[in-house]
Amino acid sequence: MLSLDSPFIPRIGWLISLGAHLRLSEGTILLFVWSLLLIAGLGLIAGSFCRSAAILAWFFHLCAAKGGDVVSYGVDNFTSIGLFYLMMSPLPDRYALDVRLRKLRPKWPELLGFFRRVLQIHLCLVYFFSGLTKLIGSGWWDGSSLWRICIRPPFNSLPPELLIRWKAVFPIGGIAICLLETGFPFFIWRGKIGRVWLVCICVMHLAIGFAMGMYLFALVMIVLNLAAFGPASSSDRTETARQAAI
Amino acid sequence: MTRSRARFYSFGFGLHCFLIVAVSARETFWLLSYGQTDAPSSLHNVWQLSENATAAALAEKLNYSNPARQVLYTYLHSTGIEGGYGYFAPNVPDAYKLVFELHYPDGRVEYDLPLVSSSAGGLRMVSLLERLARPGYAPVREYAIKLIAKSVWREHPNAIMIRAIFSSITLPSMADYERGKRESYEVLSAYDISHRKDSDPSVGP
Repeated sequence: MLSLDSPFIPRIGWLISLGAHLRLSEGTILLFVWSLLLIAGLGLIAGSFCRSAAILAWFFHLCAAKGGDVVSYGVDNFTSIGLFYLMMSPLPDRYALDVRLRKLRPKWPELLGFFRRVLQIHLCLVYFFSGLTKLIGSGWWDGSSLWRICIRPPFNSLPPELLIRWKAVFPIGGIAICLLETGFPFFIWRGKIGRVWLVCICVMHLAIGFAMGMYLFALVMIVLNLAAFGPASSSDRTETARQAAI
Repeated sequence: MTRSRARFYSFGFGLHCFLIVAVSARETFWLLSYGQTDAPSSLHNVWQLSENATAAALAEKLNYSNPARQVLYTYLHSTGIEGGYGYFAPNVPDAYKLVFELHYPDGRVEYDLPLVSSSAGGLRMVSLLERLARPGYAPVREYAIKLIAKSVWREHPNAIMIRAIFSSITLPSMADYERGKRESYEVLSAYDISHRKDSDPSVGP
């Protein structure tokens, strides 16, 4: 299916084929890939060799995600999105080890605001269309969608008997989620209301994580939201202006 | 930053956002045109026209081997924007289950589920089963299920035959659950896999 879309989409099969030419087993190649991915991730966390780490992380994550396209779900898409923007944006960040130890500076710091804006617009579109498609289904108005999500394997971590006791909450919860998502692009920009909206969205993702066991998905979405609209964004604008002036 | 560089970034930003909107709108119009929603059916032609327009904007009408299409889809996949964002929308679909019925030489029958090493693996197995249930995956469904069955063989090497049963799970509504109704299963397909002496699983009669 992936090859039908394009034969140029990176996938882990390429690396395994390359390894076969070098007489390396599939297991060795996979271990190599996972190790590089881990090193790239640690490099990104520490802010060390940022650009190289970002490119490696994006490429190997993409290979893994596309290689297992049939078993992928939302977390893979959003991780790809985040890593792509990270790879393209000005690096290193002012908290990175590259700045503190190697005294590196981003080449075009003024682009930081641009890439943050791209991420902000992207998240607005994500939530808008997510909310819109929910609004056009009856299940989110009468609460049946929330009920079905909570009892649907493997998300059924809460006992149905407990859920039934709170059945009056489901229609309210369903409509609240639709309005929260659809209203995101309109209210997230507005000062105090925006901060409340951001907190509500993060709480929604936390609830999804705990109720459905999708912890990684919740973490990725919260990180993306905080990167786009978090409290650091305003202080970063000051820092960007300062670096551009230098 | 030079003016040409600024123009380049602005163009790239506009194109990127256009593609995100096109992919998301395509999914939404598809849902509307195929009656998967509660939208009025009188607007069916509008939804279909819109779906065709967004599909054309995404080069879906072009041949798979068309270079422009391949470049576009390489970009979409590389940036993670190839899919829409209608998770569990407009409604939550039924779930799917894969059960392996293990037959032993002494007539004993046991049941097992696909092996996953973690809860994250379980989520991915669910994604796989949902995809396998789609009509477009019918040609690969049997092959994929037999691949999964291999891991079950390793855990149960003494079994002489495995029947892989792929079912949909119909979830009860809240009212039905209060009346005592629970989830029900409908078998979609079943595959018999016999164990040859060379230990490669193969199609049974």
